[in-house]
Amino acid sequence: MTDTVLDIRDIHTTLGGNSIHRGLDLSVRRGEVVALIGGSGTGKSVLLREIIGLLKPQSGRIELFGQSVWDTTPAQMNALRRRFGVLFQDGALFSSLDVEDNVATPLFEHTSLPHATCRQLARLKLGLANLPADVAKKKPSELSGGMRKRVALARALALDPELLFLDEPTSGLDPISARAFDTLIRLLADSLGLTVFLVTHDLDTLFSIIDRVIVLSNGRVLGSGSVAELKQLDDPWLSAYFAARTPEETSPHGN
Amino acid sequence: MTAHARYDAASRALIASGDWQAEAAAALPELAGQPVHVLDGADLTRLDTNGAWLLLAAARPQASDPMPELRNFSPAHRALLELVARHCDATLLQPDPPREGLRMLTGRGAIAMGRHLAGLLDFVGHLTVESLALIGRPGQWRWRELAAQVRDIFVGAIPIVVGMLFLLGVVFAYLLGDQARQYGANIFVVDGILMAILREISPVIVAILVAGRTGAAITAQLGTMKVTEEIDAIATLGLSPLAVLVIPRMLALLIAMPLLVFIGDVAGILGGMLVAQEQLDISRPVFLDRMADVLLLKTLLVGLFKAPVFAIFIALIACRMGLSVTRDSRSVGANTTSTVVQSLVAIIILNAIFAVAFVQLNI
Repeated sequence: MTDTVLDIRDIHTTLGGNSIHRGLDLSVRRGEVVALIGGSGTGKSVLLREIIGLLKPQSGRIELFGQSVWDTTPAQMNALRRRFGVLFQDGALFSSLDVEDNVATPLFEHTSLPHATCRQLARLKLGLANLPADVAKKKPSELSGGMRKRVALARALALDPELLFLDEPTSGLDPISARAFDTLIRLLADSLGLTVFLVTHDLDTLFSIIDRVIVLSNGRVLGSGSVAELKQLDDPWLSAYFAARTPEETSPHGN
Repeated sequence: MTAHARYDAASRALIASGDWQAEAAAALPELAGQPVHVLDGADLTRLDTNGAWLLLAAARPQASDPMPELRNFSPAHRALLELVARHCDATLLQPDPPREGLRMLTGRGAIAMGRHLAGLLDFVGHLTVESLALIGRPGQWRWRELAAQVRDIFVGAIPIVVGMLFLLGVVFAYLLGDQARQYGANIFVVDGILMAILREISPVIVAILVAGRTGAAITAQLGTMKVTEEIDAIATLGLSPLAVLVIPRMLALLIAMPLLVFIGDVAGILGGMLVAQEQLDISRPVFLDRMADVLLLKTLLVGLFKAPVFAIFIALIACRMGLSVTRDSRSVGANTTSTVVQSLVAIIILNAIFAVAFVQLNI
């Protein structure tokens, strides 16, 4: 079993004439919870789409579990897809299916289990995502934003992936739900032995559950390390980014 | 390593080995109601939540059964099993709700239909109040929106209306001519074409085209705006979604439909004229002379009178279905389909009512 789950070498991407990635390298080891940050338009979401095989980069190599994403047969890619789960930004739940069937869909499609068992496993995943049992028969449109994200997380976990991709998991959630979601992700990562790769803007997420932060800037990786290590870097965007939170911490009320 | 499991009757233990994942379900032994008191995982190489659930569910088919003792599991596997066990009760024994019988479905359908009609009535009421309020204030009319809608509904539909009605005129004249020729009644084909095209074919076909083309578009557009909360944004700005979105579309349809029907009339007559010349040796001057003799103004007006009535119904149905979309993408599709079906049914019913009423009124 290789220790590196995700390996990206020398990625170049140009979209609509704009150069997004210029020789980007990064790698993620098994069991890490890694966050990708960067200013708007630095190509975080584009990179994520390239990793999961939705968008082809102009050049470079992306390997998941030691297998190149862009040089595979469809059958190999499907086998690869079973090993990672994706949580899209707005959940991307199928609005025509109820919650339970949404979560069970990957099991319907990728396993030979009877549908009743798939639904029971789906309920297990809903339980793991901290959702009450009575949501199972509801439609996605009847749920709050935070609940939809949890359902989407449950769907991403349906096939027990080794690697989980999260695109801005806490955006659009209130601070309490966002923190609860962070805690849930960390708990699942620890108890299920998941590797988690998430794109985020949320400083609180970075400070609470992340092992390592990777910063994108100008189409390259500007730095990678713990929050404390990144604060040492001299970069205007990064300084401004961390400054957005620091005053509140260092100067309490009445100062 | 493939998954294996065997039942040891002496110790009442289910002994699992290999990789226990979702696909391992096939490896479960037939227990036939024998109780499992011990789960043994000494030779498990891999376990995920799906595999853990399968083992637990096999050992404990009912929520009331006792939790089996976990034996020889590695600490990580034991932790995973315990995590899954905590969420197990919610997954056990949840039978699907019984299927609804025919009576239940009929009742539900009737209630839904009743609600739908009540909602339509409510919508008509709101729309009337809103329109009456606007009449006194021409400054607040959405002229630009109205013009854009007329362009979309009228100009965009001209090619298809001309094409359709021309072809229908050709077909109708051809079939009628084939019959009339046997009796030497060639010239009466002109009477028949005029009556059929102006009074029935053109208004109904144009209404059907508009329902499919514009009605569906209106529902999809308003529905998508509802999903993206644009309608709520309009209301929050102190504007009425009815005045901004619905009334311009309704007026545009009222303006466009009679014009389209008239264009359809002309196209249909041209089609008929072509066939009359080629098949029945009725030259164009003869055709036009006969037309001047037999065409009554009321024939034209009956057709043109139907158009705005159809337009109002199409607009009402399309706008109401668009605004009653719920916040999911499936609902947009369902309501768009429903608009077309309801509009077609309304057109056919209205046309039948007109046919009977006009005969009774000697029109």
